[in-house]
Amino acid sequence: MTDESTSPDTIQDENQELQKIFPLFKSWKALYLFVLAELGILIVLFYLFSQAYA
Amino acid sequence: MTGFDWLVMSGTILFIVGYGLWKSRGNTDIKGYLLADNSLKWWTIGLSIMATQASAITFLSTPGQAFDDGMRFVQFYFGVPIAMVLISIVAIPIYRRLNVFTAYEYLEGRFDLKTRSLTATLFLISRGLAAGMTIYAPAIILSALLGWDIDLTCVGIGIVVMIYTVSGGTKAVSQTQKQQMAVILVGMILAGILMVLKLPPDVSFGDAINIAGKMGKLNTITMPKDFSDFFHDKYNLLSGLVAGTFLMLSYFGTDQSQVQRYLGGKSVTESRLGLMFNGIFKVPMQFLILFIGVMMFVFYQFTAPPLFFNSTEEAQIAQSEQADAYDALNSRFLSLHEEKAAKLREMIQTDQALQLATLQTEVQQMESQARDMRTEAKELIKTHNPNADLNDLDQVFLTFILDHLPIGLVGLLMAVILSAAMSSTSAELNALATTSIVDIYKRSMMDTGSPTHYLRASKVSTMLWGILAIGFALIADSFGNLIQAVNLLGSLFYGTILGIFVIAFFFKWIKGTATFWAAVAGEIAVVAVWLLPQYTETFSWLNVGFLWYNLIGCAIVVGMGMLIQSFGSE
Repeated sequence: MTDESTSPDTIQDENQELQKIFPLFKSWKALYLFVLAELGILIVLFYLFSQAYA
Repeated sequence: MTGFDWLVMSGTILFIVGYGLWKSRGNTDIKGYLLADNSLKWWTIGLSIMATQASAITFLSTPGQAFDDGMRFVQFYFGVPIAMVLISIVAIPIYRRLNVFTAYEYLEGRFDLKTRSLTATLFLISRGLAAGMTIYAPAIILSALLGWDIDLTCVGIGIVVMIYTVSGGTKAVSQTQKQQMAVILVGMILAGILMVLKLPPDVSFGDAINIAGKMGKLNTITMPKDFSDFFHDKYNLLSGLVAGTFLMLSYFGTDQSQVQRYLGGKSVTESRLGLMFNGIFKVPMQFLILFIGVMMFVFYQFTAPPLFFNSTEEAQIAQSEQADAYDALNSRFLSLHEEKAAKLREMIQTDQALQLATLQTEVQQMESQARDMRTEAKELIKTHNPNADLNDLDQVFLTFILDHLPIGLVGLLMAVILSAAMSSTSAELNALATTSIVDIYKRSMMDTGSPTHYLRASKVSTMLWGILAIGFALIADSFGNLIQAVNLLGSLFYGTILGIFVIAFFFKWIKGTATFWAAVAGEIAVVAVWLLPQYTETFSWLNVGFLWYNLIGCAIVVGMGMLIQSFGSE
């Protein structure tokens, strides 16, 4: 990544822009964690689902 | 198909095409034509990304795959959310800051012209061939079951796509994809609901899930049995998470047909949110499509399925010398089916564990016998017609639609299949034209043209790629196992392209010449990994699933790039 895109100002601007659209997510990091957590939860649910009916 | 189905299908397609043309009018330069004037909102980008990946074959084959192999195919998509996050963090800010038209344009600034041209050419070869297959694959299935002329179907799909893609460019592609994706989702959900409603009255939805589970179709999460299985079995949790992530990084991060979808975003935020949309909804969507396939399996446990799902081949064998043998086999198959249905009903009603286990074993044995009979039927078909396509799994879902769905919904489901074919083809033509004009024509052949000249050249290029794709679809029938060949071709190139981008993003000390030669070496190595095990026993250990070619190619390019840069002179 470039210095410009990781500078604190840019990160803050990007986070603010995200918050305007999705107030639930205070930062991009939170949204990324949500996406990855969803994958983790889906894998666990799929596993339980397949075990429950095996 | 009834007249009303034709009306629903053509009305839906015409509305989508008309809407796309109307929303994309007024392009005056290539920024408007190829990047949609950076006007796209996140939901348009998200749906467009999903529609580009989901070709008609996705909606025809995936339920058939679940019908045969259960739900473990969903693991193939576990790399999507991880790849979406990585691309969003690393690639999008760079692409957007440099205001590039193509992913390959960035490579010239980072490396040099030869690396950019090499990468663009690798993309044009693999995607150019794939565009023909995107048209041909659904056409062959539709012609087999509906009796449509295969050539006319290919030309029809190709021309409709060309009309709006040539006319409206990226904006038309993205706007139509939004509508196409809506039609696809509504159609699939309705098909799923009707499938459950069509189960016999004494079989509830819960019973259906129980039966599917007992017959091993809900195998959503599977683990490799041993170390060798880790590399050879395409669909398990580890290969999905590791190799799948590399495949998805290559596809979404470096394939222009996907990159162009998010480059048209209004801002970095809109582009990123489009990717996150795909990261959140892709796995559940695939789960839903596979679940529909599993419900179809249960449905066909109580309603007699055909012995072979390709009705054209079945009709032909009925007129041949093998007709009596095929009829006798079919009678045995149908009586076995009735016996199996009766056992399944007993299974539903019993609440004794021991009896349940006995019945489960019996049903599984009967299912195994039914499989053997289907194999026997394929052998008879092969005896009659040695060139017959014996893989009928692609026809399972379409057979269900035509035989069991009500008038009107059949037309809507046909619109779903055609919409999916059109959405991926249009994105491919759009990306091929963009790469040809921006990375080859404008950069290396004609750099003094006016905006109008490049706009016209982009439209001509889209048209030429469209004609080439139709032409390739028309001759595809002459080649044997072409679908597999084209899929393989994609996997052979993706790893190398990803390796080049990984060096570009993360290894700033590696320069252009080292990267170029590392890419050449990486490509040769991947081809060797593919070819050597086929011709000599000594290298049989190299025989790995296609999915791993992405990781191998990428690792070799990065490793060789480090070596050449460290020890070579530039």
